[in-house]
Amino acid sequence: MFDNIVSETGDPGRARRLYYRSVYAIAGVAIVGLLAGMATGRELIGTSIYCVGVWLGGGISFLAPKLTDVPLQDERDTDLYNRASGLTLGVLFVGGLSIIPVIYVLEAAGRIETPPEVNGAIFLASGLFLMWGVSYGIVKRR
Amino acid sequence: MENNLPRRREAAGLSQGELAEAVGVTRQTINAIERERYDPSLELAFKLAAHFECHIEDIFQPEENND
Repeated sequence: MFDNIVSETGDPGRARRLYYRSVYAIAGVAIVGLLAGMATGRELIGTSIYCVGVWLGGGISFLAPKLTDVPLQDERDTDLYNRASGLTLGVLFVGGLSIIPVIYVLEAAGRIETPPEVNGAIFLASGLFLMWGVSYGIVKRR
Repeated sequence: MENNLPRRREAAGLSQGELAEAVGVTRQTINAIERERYDPSLELAFKLAAHFECHIEDIFQPEENND
């Protein structure tokens, strides 16, 4: 499809814009579907729309660049993703290292009582750090 | 990394989009390289040098060498 656009228009930028708009539009529909399902009490339909949208959008974003000669993504896109991911993790690491031990110590001392939401967030951040460590080890050895 | 890519591209009569297509990247990437906001990979630098039939160092120069 993207190759046809370029051969007809001679404009790779049009194919690239269509690619990004398609992926973002599908992701948008998925998120809106999930929120609408929650708001209207139709959680099953909402989550179904979300799952289909995420898999469809993710599939297109992953497969389309591999199935076309049109440069939908290139090394700079990868560099930008890596830098944004690094920045996000850096913020989480700094925030996590400065907050989580303090919370543990104060809770152990009986000074504070952490609500379940905070414990959930700590658990999630810990899982993310663990996953990052495993991914780093895998990437380092490849 | 400094570069003279805009001058070489314009001398060759190419638009950013045409150069991008020739070396297999997006126009935005060529634009970012020309504005020195992005340093290309070695692979892309070789492609650009091959396209202009010159050496990589004819296009790209480390900033400390140009004081």
